[in-house]
Amino acid sequence: MLSLLAQTGPGEFLDGLSAIGAGLGYGLAAVGPGVGIGIVVGNAISAMARQPESAGMVRTTMFLGIAFTEALALIGFVVFILLLP
Amino acid sequence: MARTTVKLFAALGATGALLLAAASPAQAAGETIGGCILEQVHHAEEEYGSLSAVEADENAFKSFEDDLEGCVEAPSPILPELDEIIWGGLAFVILFGFMAWKGFPAVKRAMDARSEKIRADLDAADAAKADALRTKSTYEAELAEAKTAAAAIIDEARGQADQLRQDLQARAEADIAEQRARAANDIESSRRQALDDLRTEVAAIAVGAAERVVGASLDADVHRSLIDGYIDEVAGAGRNGDGN
Amino acid sequence: MSLLALEFPPVSHLFDWPTIWFDGTPLAVNKTVLIYLAATAATIVLFGLAGRPRESLVPAGVQHVAESGVNFIENSVVMQTIGPDGKKFMPLLTSMFFFILFSNITEVVPFIQFPANSRMAIPITLAVLVWVIYNVVGVRSQGPFGYLKNSLFPPGVPKVLYVIVTPIELVSTFVVRPFSLAIRLWANMVAGHLLLVTFAILSATLWEFFYVPAALPFVMLILMTAFEILVSFLQAFIFTILTAVYIGGSMHPEH
Repeated sequence: MLSLLAQTGPGEFLDGLSAIGAGLGYGLAAVGPGVGIGIVVGNAISAMARQPESAGMVRTTMFLGIAFTEALALIGFVVFILLLP
Repeated sequence: MARTTVKLFAALGATGALLLAAASPAQAAGETIGGCILEQVHHAEEEYGSLSAVEADENAFKSFEDDLEGCVEAPSPILPELDEIIWGGLAFVILFGFMAWKGFPAVKRAMDARSEKIRADLDAADAAKADALRTKSTYEAELAEAKTAAAAIIDEARGQADQLRQDLQARAEADIAEQRARAANDIESSRRQALDDLRTEVAAIAVGAAERVVGASLDADVHRSLIDGYIDEVAGAGRNGDGN
Repeated sequence: MSLLALEFPPVSHLFDWPTIWFDGTPLAVNKTVLIYLAATAATIVLFGLAGRPRESLVPAGVQHVAESGVNFIENSVVMQTIGPDGKKFMPLLTSMFFFILFSNITEVVPFIQFPANSRMAIPITLAVLVWVIYNVVGVRSQGPFGYLKNSLFPPGVPKVLYVIVTPIELVSTFVVRPFSLAIRLWANMVAGHLLLVTFAILSATLWEFFYVPAALPFVMLILMTAFEILVSFLQAFIFTILTAVYIGGSMHPEH
C-alpha cells in the first residue's frame, strides 16, 4: 500500500479518493429518495385504487411529491459530477 | 392583461441583469483554451527561464503538463455559461413576448370562441327542439280538435239523417194516413152518391112502375116519402145482411 | 475512464460544445444556443399556426397540439395550484412549458441528441425568474411584512418550534427553491443524456467486437429513449407546476 502510494503522484491519489467518494456519495444519496419515492407512489396508487374519481388530483400531487423527493437524489448526483476527477 | 405582461417583462429584465452580474466573474475566470495555454507557457518560462529548462526537470515538466491539461479540461458542467445565458434568456424573452402578445391570446380566443360557439349551437339546438316540440303539441292539439270536430260533424250528420229519416217516415205515414182517409172519404162519398143515385133511380123506376101499375097519378111528393121509407128499410136490411 | 476497453469520454466533454460563431465574445453561439433558438422558433411556429383563424370547428394538427397544451396547463397546473386568479400567468407558464419541453425533447431527436437543458443556462435563468416573480407576487398580494411573516412564521406551528422552523423556512423559501428548481431540471437532463450515451457507446463497442451481445445494450438504449421522452415531458410539467405552486403559495398563503 505504501509502495503503491509512493508510486502514484499526490494528484492521482486525490483523484482516486474523490472518485471513490463520488461513487459512494451518489450511491448513499440514492438510498433515501429511492425508499421515499417508493412510499409516495405506493400510497398514491392505493389512494387511486380506493378513489378512482380523484385519480387526477392524486396524480398531480404524486408528481409534486416525487419531484421534491427526487431533489435529494439529484443533489447527490450533482455532487457526484462535481467530485469526478 | 397588458399590465401583467409589462410587469413580467420587468421581472425578466431584472432576472437577466441579476444573472449577468452574477455570471461575469465566472466568465472572467474561465478563458479560452489558447489563452490559458499561452498563460501557462508564459508562467513556466518566468519560473524556469525557458521551456527547455522545464523539459529537463522531470517534476517541473509533470506539473507543467498538469497545468496544460487543466487548460484543456472543460469548466465544471454545473456552472452556467454566459453566452448560453444571454442567448437562452433572449430566446425565452422573445418567446414570452410573442406568446403574451399574440400566440397565447389567439389560441385562447380560438378555444373560447369554439366553446362559445358549441354552447350557442347547443342552446340553439335546445331552443329548436323546444320549438319543434311546441309546434308538434300544437299540431297534435289541432289534430285532436279536428278529430273531435269531425266526430261531432259526423254525429250531427247522423242525427240529421236520422231526423230526416224520421221526418220522411212520419210524413210518409201521415201521407199514407191522409190518403187512406181521403180514400175512405171518397169511398164513403161515392157510396153515398151511389146510394143517392140509386135512390133517385129506384124512386124514379118505382114511380114509373107504380104509375104503370096503378095507373093513377099519385102525388110525387107522397110517392117520394113512401119510396124513401121503403129504400131505408131495404138499405137497413141490406146493411144488416152485409153484417151477416 | 475506461471499462472493458471502452473509451468513455469525460463527463464535461459530453456537454460542452465547441463554439460555432462569434468565438471569444459573450455572444458565442454553440449547439446549445442553437437548440434554444430552435425551441423558441418551434413554439412560435406552433402557436402562430394554431392561432390562425379557421373555419373548421374540429381542431386538427398543430392546432390540436397547442390547444391540448394550453388546456393541460390550465386544468392540471393553474386551476389545481393557483386557482382562477392565476389565469394571468397562463402565457408565462405556457411559454415556459413549451420552451422547456422543446429544449428537453432534443435529447431523443435524431442527429441532435442533446438536451439543451443539460446546460445550466436556461434552468438557472428560469429559476431565478421564478424566484423574482413569486417574491414580487407575494409582496404585492400580502404586503412586504405580511409576506415575510407568512413565509417565515407559518401559522399553526407551536411558538416554541419557530426557533427551528423559521431558519429552515428562510433557507428553503428564499435560497434553496430556485436552486432546487434549476438543479432538478438540469440534473435530470444530464442523467438522461449520460444514460443514453452510456448505452450507445456500449452498443457500438460491443458491435465492433462480437455482434450478438450488442443486442442487450441496444434494447436498453431503445427503452431508455422511450423513458427519456417521458422524462422530458415530466420535467417540463414539474418545472411548470412547481412555478405555479410557488406563485400560488405567495398569492394565497395557507389555503
